Amino acid sequence: MYPYNLDFNPYPSSPTPTEKDAKILGGKRHKEAKAAILECIKELNRKVEGKTAENNDFRVITVVQDVGSGKTHLSLHVKSLKGRYNAECSYIDLSTISPKTISGLYDAILKGFDNEFFVQLREKFLNYLRENAEQGDNSAKKALDYSFVNKLTGMTIKEKTEEIIRGKQFVSLENLTAFLIHKFEYHESILIKNVISNSFDEVKNLETLIGMLSSISKLTHRFLGKVLVFEMDELDGNKDSIEFIKGVINAHLPASVLLLISTPSGYLEIQNTNPSVFDRLEKANYKIDLAGSNSKDELAEIVTEYIKHSDKDNKFGSQEQQELNEKIHVLYEEFTEFRNVRSVINILYQAMEKASQSDSKKIDESVIDEAIKQSYPGLRVRGSIMNIPISDFLAIRRNGNNSEKEIKSAVKSLTVFAQEMGSIQKLEKKNLLLDAVYQDNFGSKIGLAVIADELGIPDLEQISDMSKAAVVDKLVILTNKKIQTPYNATVVNMDKSKVVDLIYFNNKYNDKKLTEEDNERIELLAKTLSIV
Amino acid sequence: MKDEILEKIKSSGISGVRKVDLKKVFGKTCEGILEELKANEQIFIEKKGVAYFVWTSENYVQHVTQNDPKFKLMLNMFAGVNQSIAKVKAHADVLQEELERASRETGSKSDDFEGVFNSSLNESSTSIGWVPFDKIREKVCENQNLSKEKFYQMATNLIENHYDKYEISSGGQEGIVMRGLVHGYVRNI
Repeated sequence: MYPYNLDFNPYPSSPTPTEKDAKILGGKRHKEAKAAILECIKELNRKVEGKTAENNDFRVITVVQDVGSGKTHLSLHVKSLKGRYNAECSYIDLSTISPKTISGLYDAILKGFDNEFFVQLREKFLNYLRENAEQGDNSAKKALDYSFVNKLTGMTIKEKTEEIIRGKQFVSLENLTAFLIHKFEYHESILIKNVISNSFDEVKNLETLIGMLSSISKLTHRFLGKVLVFEMDELDGNKDSIEFIKGVINAHLPASVLLLISTPSGYLEIQNTNPSVFDRLEKANYKIDLAGSNSKDELAEIVTEYIKHSDKDNKFGSQEQQELNEKIHVLYEEFTEFRNVRSVINILYQAMEKASQSDSKKIDESVIDEAIKQSYPGLRVRGSIMNIPISDFLAIRRNGNNSEKEIKSAVKSLTVFAQEMGSIQKLEKKNLLLDAVYQDNFGSKIGLAVIADELGIPDLEQISDMSKAAVVDKLVILTNKKIQTPYNATVVNMDKSKVVDLIYFNNKYNDKKLTEEDNERIELLAKTLSIV
Repeated sequence: MKDEILEKIKSSGISGVRKVDLKKVFGKTCEGILEELKANEQIFIEKKGVAYFVWTSENYVQHVTQNDPKFKLMLNMFAGVNQSIAKVKAHADVLQEELERASRETGSKSDDFEGVFNSSLNESSTSIGWVPFDKIREKVCENQNLSKEKFYQMATNLIENHYDKYEISSGGQEGIVMRGLVHGYVRNI
């Protein structure tokens, strides 16, 4: 059993998305991008409905964003929805075609369609032949190889066609060519023959490739009533890819959408390599901008979407969702490693597995810690003197702004610890504004004050009073705020990592969990805070 | 009466005044006032021979300075230390001022950097908003007189501190390194 009562791990484990993984799409920006693509498909469908698709029924969409931001996932998700939006889709990863020859590109486009697509198209073509044969077209009968013997044995044209559809009998390719030549254009005839015989001719030049793609689009619209979406992923400055894209755009494939997916680097490469193609891309019908697709809110939404999708028992309530979001936010803020969809999903997959092994009911700090240790063994909390484990770090940071009271308590514990170590000698604290008074090893009397006001604006009067009233040799002010430095004080700024270190130290100190090897780190922490 | 007694002692200068002479002028009741002034460290009483002499604190210091060579020696040494402390303090003040000035300059340079970086980013922006870092670097380094290394150091800090304002993208020949990848493109969100 997985956390939140899930029967399986909802996160994909593959380094790049697969069609199966892409059935779930989360995140506001990604959903907006999806809506834009679907709107384009719907608009094109409205335009070509009930008529023959023309060359001007062609749309170009560009999606440009950094690697790991969910572009491929979005494309595959759109492909998974094709049936609902009266479309067929071919997904092509240009990076997997090498060399990018015309025949290689054509093969990849054909393979990019679902098998079911060609099965449907074949059936439609054969039924078209049947209809013609039934209406007395002898060339259609010949194409179906419907012979006198068939007729004598009582086999109808329909039965013959069904036998061919089931693969028990075959068409006559020679007669099929003769039939098609009068009714279809050259490339359309070849395509129909290829689909019916389930064997595609090799394409050797761009002109033929464009002709074949155009035929697929036109015949898909005519026989299936659907528009086509060609998704070209990993488009970059490769000359062969660009020439091909230029040809496709110039050809205006009827009833088709060309979805081009690139990175900023790839897109600007195209600008430098081929300004003419770049200009065409700049004039795309839809330029989808996934700005903010790697923002922390977007990542948190994507992460929760996977669980929500699999949460049949509604165990993943708003509280659980908020807790998980907070953890994602902390991971995002503190580790640049987790600022893209791919890496966060990977960690969540690992964390789910760890949680399942330890029977944890939720994704807590410890399972995230274990997952990070496994996937990113060298990862440490930046700037941490105490070498704080990531799980403790997440827990402390999740509490948000640590209160002044908490920080004061930690500083007090640190001075007590320093006294126990013999580094300082605590003195009686007569001034209420000071948090500790002690004598250092040089005999100087030190006054320590903590200013960590959550209200945001530190009380300058308070600082002034403190410095006037401090009857000490040295006044040290520890603060996590920007304050004016009084003339007689040393101000030590405590950044987030120092505050977290302090709280972590205090928790361990109070729980009596400090070990001997912590001593050196604690001393260093006290030194950086000017306590010793 | 207290003020009168104190004035009388002060006017006696570094020679001091005998206690018995004070009693003659102010009567025997002045004994209590003298004890009070002594407790407040306003006067100093010392027995010389059989008589008690009274000085103000300042006059007494001068008295012993003139009459006690050991004290004179120690005082000179103390004055030397005092001078050294004053010198150190003056030096510390200068350092403090320097530090504050440098801090102000760094702050203003950092502010300038952000401003120049943003304006360069806006000026160079393409239709999709992404700009190669090297284009911004050229402009900013020229404007701010920065080295390439310093530029990328400051750019990394800027983007790290405002990750909700900027987006970076991998690729390119130069840029900031994140997750071990060169990110050569940047844009405003």
